[in-house]
Amino acid sequence: MATKWPENRRVIGTNVPRLDGPEKSTGKAKYSYDINRPGMVYGVIVRCPHAHAKIKSIDTSAAEKMPGFRALHLIAREGTELYYAGEDVLAVAADTEEHALDVARAVKVEYEVLPFQVKESDALENDRKTLAPLGPRRERDNLRPPQTQESDEFADGMKNAEVTVTGTYGMPVISHQCLEAHGLVAEWGADGGLTVWASTQAVVGTADALARHFNTVHKMDMAGKVKCITHYMGGGFGSKFGPDVQGIACAELALKAKAPVKLMLDRASEITTAGNRPSAYGKVTIGGKKDGTITAFEADTWGTPGTGAARTVGPLPYVYLFQHKVKHTVIRLNLGNQRAMRAPGHPQSCFFTDCALDDFAAKIGMDPMQVRLRNIPPDDVNAKNTDPLSYPAMRGTLYKKQIEIAAQLSGWANKWHPPGKGGDGPIKHGIGMALHTWGGFAAGPNDVTVTISSDGTVLVQTSTQDLGTAQRTVNAIVVAEILGLEPKDITVQIGENPFGRSGGSGGSTTCPSQAPASLLAAVKARDEMFAVIAKKLNAKVEDLSITKGKVVDKASGNEYEWKKACALLGTSRPRGVGTWSGAEAAKQANAGLSKGGVGGVQVAEVLVDTETGVVRCKQIVAVQDCGLIINKLACESQVAGGVIMGLNYALFEELIADRATGRIVNPDMEFYKLGGINDMPKIIVHMIDMPERGVIGIGEPPTISTHAAIGNAIFNALGVRVPETPFTPDRVLAALAKGAK
Amino acid sequence: MDNFVYYRPKTAEAAVGLLDAKWGTAELLAGGTDLVSLQKQYIARPKKVISLSQVQGLDQIEQSRGWPMTFKIGAGVKLATLAASSALRGSAAALAQAAEEIAGPQIRNMATLGGSLCQRNRCWYFRDEQSPCLLKGGDKCFALDGENRYHAIFTQGRKCVIASPSTVATPLMVLGAIAQVLSPKGKREIPLAEFFKAPTGPEDREHVLAPDEMLLSVSFSIASDKVKSASYEVRQKLSSDWPLVQASVAFELDGGTAKNVRIALGHVAPVPMLSAEAAKAIEGKPINEETAAAAGEAATSGAKPLSQNGYKVRLLAVAVKRALLTAAGAKKYWEV
Repeated sequence: MATKWPENRRVIGTNVPRLDGPEKSTGKAKYSYDINRPGMVYGVIVRCPHAHAKIKSIDTSAAEKMPGFRALHLIAREGTELYYAGEDVLAVAADTEEHALDVARAVKVEYEVLPFQVKESDALENDRKTLAPLGPRRERDNLRPPQTQESDEFADGMKNAEVTVTGTYGMPVISHQCLEAHGLVAEWGADGGLTVWASTQAVVGTADALARHFNTVHKMDMAGKVKCITHYMGGGFGSKFGPDVQGIACAELALKAKAPVKLMLDRASEITTAGNRPSAYGKVTIGGKKDGTITAFEADTWGTPGTGAARTVGPLPYVYLFQHKVKHTVIRLNLGNQRAMRAPGHPQSCFFTDCALDDFAAKIGMDPMQVRLRNIPPDDVNAKNTDPLSYPAMRGTLYKKQIEIAAQLSGWANKWHPPGKGGDGPIKHGIGMALHTWGGFAAGPNDVTVTISSDGTVLVQTSTQDLGTAQRTVNAIVVAEILGLEPKDITVQIGENPFGRSGGSGGSTTCPSQAPASLLAAVKARDEMFAVIAKKLNAKVEDLSITKGKVVDKASGNEYEWKKACALLGTSRPRGVGTWSGAEAAKQANAGLSKGGVGGVQVAEVLVDTETGVVRCKQIVAVQDCGLIINKLACESQVAGGVIMGLNYALFEELIADRATGRIVNPDMEFYKLGGINDMPKIIVHMIDMPERGVIGIGEPPTISTHAAIGNAIFNALGVRVPETPFTPDRVLAALAKGAK
Repeated sequence: MDNFVYYRPKTAEAAVGLLDAKWGTAELLAGGTDLVSLQKQYIARPKKVISLSQVQGLDQIEQSRGWPMTFKIGAGVKLATLAASSALRGSAAALAQAAEEIAGPQIRNMATLGGSLCQRNRCWYFRDEQSPCLLKGGDKCFALDGENRYHAIFTQGRKCVIASPSTVATPLMVLGAIAQVLSPKGKREIPLAEFFKAPTGPEDREHVLAPDEMLLSVSFSIASDKVKSASYEVRQKLSSDWPLVQASVAFELDGGTAKNVRIALGHVAPVPMLSAEAAKAIEGKPINEETAAAAGEAATSGAKPLSQNGYKVRLLAVAVKRALLTAAGAKKYWEV
């Protein structure tokens, strides 16, 4: 019989403080940055200062004579074309960090500076073809051919519209801004093995990619010889999959220097090279009836993925199933390549859809919450039969419930007012909302091993990483539940690839992969333990069970305290390996262990100073489902963290590229603004527990709709749309001035 | 950063004795909140770094009893100390209010009054080693037609359009402060209103001190308890952010009208500037929302914003208005 989640849950779904909280808050936890190895030297990357250039020559002779020089690794060569300011040229290592910086500055690189473009509007106006050749025809065009999509009845939908509203919306390129920069320590062992302490969200993927590199480039046999250790890491948000340029360079330097090398990016490199969230701009037209029914949605969007070529928006229309016509144009620019960022494409799509929807609601004079209730997609009848636990089967019911809860928690009925009626004085109040959706399915495969010892200790080992989501605590909660223990009784070891397989922590896949694997492993270890001790207890295996702290023999009624029961194991070490993956989750027999597909609703309240254009966000209500909740406290924390990130998209974050120099002018934490503690609103999180669905990941969804909700709250306050994030004083004042005309 | 020799003189005389006759080769280190980052970015490349940590007496606030009340504040007094001083909060509120809003607690606990007055500007082109701007010996100001949302709005005749960075400059200017300065030739005094200068090249700083001069203290005198002052800054974030604009005001409130009004504007021009127009607009008038707003409008006269910072003109008018209303003890209508 397939393993199921326990019907009565003693630990799962309760508030469990993260097990490693004390380590993280006292500094005992060692991040990659904190790793120092005997004889370690320091790596620094020399970067191209120009937005587009070809290397004419590289002269390292002076650098190699500098004090402390240890090694050099070429990343680019003479003749290499580089496509953004900050692109990697070579890496050097020296005995101290200061010497390494001096060595790097002594490298002489001559460039042929080439034309570049760093602004979307410039490329739209005059495509100067400044990026790498792409595709079979080796095109250098910055503007990629538009992609278009039209639903069958779009034209009819627009024809049937009684009212149409057109607006423009947009958001700039922003940076991941990981507090711990990308980087690692790399050390080669006497046995030819490589160990890296990497700040990564893919422990196994990083080890594998490093092995592939040395297999391919150096014809070394690295099978089983690369170890990646990530016990703690300081933020990734989608930007830390794999070893990256600096990971390869660091391992190469360590090989050449015959010494461990630490190479962590400085803040400017972190911002300019290690992750851009693409921009998105567009014009959206919504057509609908005066009763609030939306009949058609049209969007013409564009954005830049930097040097990349990927789309910069997600599904459009977002959440809703309107008849639609959408067009998207990718604009390549001489900026760092895009990387996945917390719900790739979704914040962009949410902004285009939810802000346009509020503008439509205003035009017909309706409360935008009512417009949403009228238009949320209904439960899919077919899905209700074939897969009743799926998102399509329940989306209509789910959103309706979430909107009702959000309305109640935010006091919407009393606080909402028609747009522009936010008070008589210069400080205007506004309230707004937005919806989001995400997957959060299992991926994998993920292996979890549970070992029970005769002294009663329980060890959980898995290679996965903790991005800050309290992953250790997830493993401990599940195993504690099955073995009748408390999470603190479980020793959890994560973040080392020899512990088995695991996927990268992307797509909110980690918890829904790891929790079922932990369940399966704990059940197997428990059953193996029962098999060993049953004989010694003169009991039948099928009569044994576990309650809190005890093993119970149903037949005799005898109870054995956990440690006493374990003492019977002698030299046996019951061990269970559980494996979970997307494929396992898809099996009919496994239904209910993990799932995907969530909804979420957020309501934001703002005060806007109409004299200064300064926006203060006062409160955010976030309603979120994620199937079976493993750790309620960590879930709420995850949602609050997502809201904080979304608030920063809304109010503060913008990577500013300079048209004249092609350089980012704010690669710092001074003018790349991030809200501090005083800028935070009251955050009210409401989790909807749906245990019948199994575990669903929510790393990403709670950050998606925050900026659209804040944008709509500002619209509600002012009665004019501030079209682009971040909602800075200049943009708010410009919108007010335009609205007054 | 480049290597340097580190000095820790015990007296101010010894400190100025270590300074050089030209800028760039020797730097005084107080709180280090600016110099160290400038060195790391290779914008400051001194051969000598002269720490003031062992110099006695720079961290004192001297205050006389009774009216007029004279304050003498050492250059080494921390911004956090200024913000917390009950005497300043009572009699020179503009200064305490300005200090309180600077950056975050960590910076205020390290940064000094002297450092705040003598700090380098925050222009992002100036601070990017790769952008050869006027102040680094280049031939153009990149901000003039570049990314200039935070730059100066009073730009008439300016070659370099930095925004003055000191937030304690404007309150000291409206309080009529005088700077005491030491060089190997001896002491001299400079009124704060004449202390700042718009730099146009690598041989310039944001103030008029000679390369071998050091700021010792600033002093000012408050005539009576009729003197009211306040500072107001518009900032985007509440936590650690630079002001977009800032205004400080001081006046005597006598029989309900403002006399001897002084209004200074910060972060809007290459130097903090006294606005005679704004002061004149409210001189002799009662302070209310209408008159304060008129003074705010007057403060913007002569503003010539750049391509991206026209909004700062509006903000400046508001900052002046709100500073005047705060000083007068009027209702803060913007706080709800």
